[in-house]
Amino acid sequence: MMLDAGGGMSPIDPRLQEALDNERDPGDLPADQQDAYARLMTAATLLSAKPAVSVADRVMAEIRAMPQQLHTGNRWRRAARWLTRPLAVTLRLRPAWTLGLAAAGLAAILLLPGDENGPELPRASEGVAQFVGHFPGAQSVEVVGSFNNWSRGKLHLRDENHDGIWHGDAVLPAGQHEYMFVVDGERWVADPLAGRYVDDGFGVGRQNAVLIVRQASSEDTPQQ
Amino acid sequence: MVNDSVPDAEVVARVLGGDGEAFGILIRRYEPGLLRFATRMLGNPDAAADAVAESLVRAYRHLAQCRDPGRLRSWLYRITGNRCRSHLARRRTSDISLSEAPPLADPSDAWAVVERGEQVALVERALSALPEEKREAFVLKHVEGMSYEEMAQVTGARIPTLKMRVHRAREALLAALQELV
Repeated sequence: MMLDAGGGMSPIDPRLQEALDNERDPGDLPADQQDAYARLMTAATLLSAKPAVSVADRVMAEIRAMPQQLHTGNRWRRAARWLTRPLAVTLRLRPAWTLGLAAAGLAAILLLPGDENGPELPRASEGVAQFVGHFPGAQSVEVVGSFNNWSRGKLHLRDENHDGIWHGDAVLPAGQHEYMFVVDGERWVADPLAGRYVDDGFGVGRQNAVLIVRQASSEDTPQQ
Repeated sequence: MVNDSVPDAEVVARVLGGDGEAFGILIRRYEPGLLRFATRMLGNPDAAADAVAESLVRAYRHLAQCRDPGRLRSWLYRITGNRCRSHLARRRTSDISLSEAPPLADPSDAWAVVERGEQVALVERALSALPEEKREAFVLKHVEGMSYEEMAQVTGARIPTLKMRVHRAREALLAALQELV
């Protein structure tokens, strides 16, 4: 057995490890190691029994109770009202070196005529969030986040000047949201200018950017 | 409704396209393994059922965030593993009772029930004595049958680290399973 003189465990033969990793035929092992191999395989088999319970009904019931628009719902668009009402937009800028980038994006939004992709008019409990990112050479940039159930195709950024500065805005519920940029449809990037991040819960070291949207009715100022 | 032979990525696309019922296919496909994994990690079938249910609902809500639907299995195990770690962090290890984790199967023969039950209890006791990371590595490797590459996707750990955890888990289990025939 693998107990050492002190009663603790001792390293097992590398050949046995190789056999357990399917890198060696267990039939080639010495008899005592074949016994150890069989013991571990028996343990794995005993632990591999199919569970007798199921949570499928419980999970599906919870899913059916969710809003149908969770993945597919269309946002209520109020672009016309947005275009007819002036809206002050200010940014809380973080590091000084971001000033140029953010200002360029802001200027692009304020100077260009409104278009059908403009944001909706915020209600009392909503605010306007602005997104700006520098992705030179990108063919497309969009924003996915907790506010659109991480669904692609709902919030595209624009780069009219083809200078690599992509921008866009959206009316979001006031409060904290998590988001990511999706560049060229496949590269997920946490906004380097976000200033605040949270673990995304799906892996070590993976983070979502965080934005905080203030109610437009209080200050008419988005904060990101 | 899509059938059970459809690839994960296609089922995910159907769900994201509005066919929420298609998520049931993914549940049927992965629930047994997830429940087994969570039970071995938590040592308590009720807590494991809660963890898996919470994980599947979370997976549904964030399905669009699954960046590679072709690796859905790894993604689901990662969510469930994180949920198990949260459960474990909220309670002391001593709260884990082996008596709460009975054999998962129901053999029909009475003697087989007794004998198998004793064997399972012995193995579960040895497994629960392992540190959390080694327990997870052993279960993913030898119970769920994952490659080291897939284990790395699930845990976020590097492959050499995972191999070391599995090797150490084997050594500890062998030392504890002298009575197992």
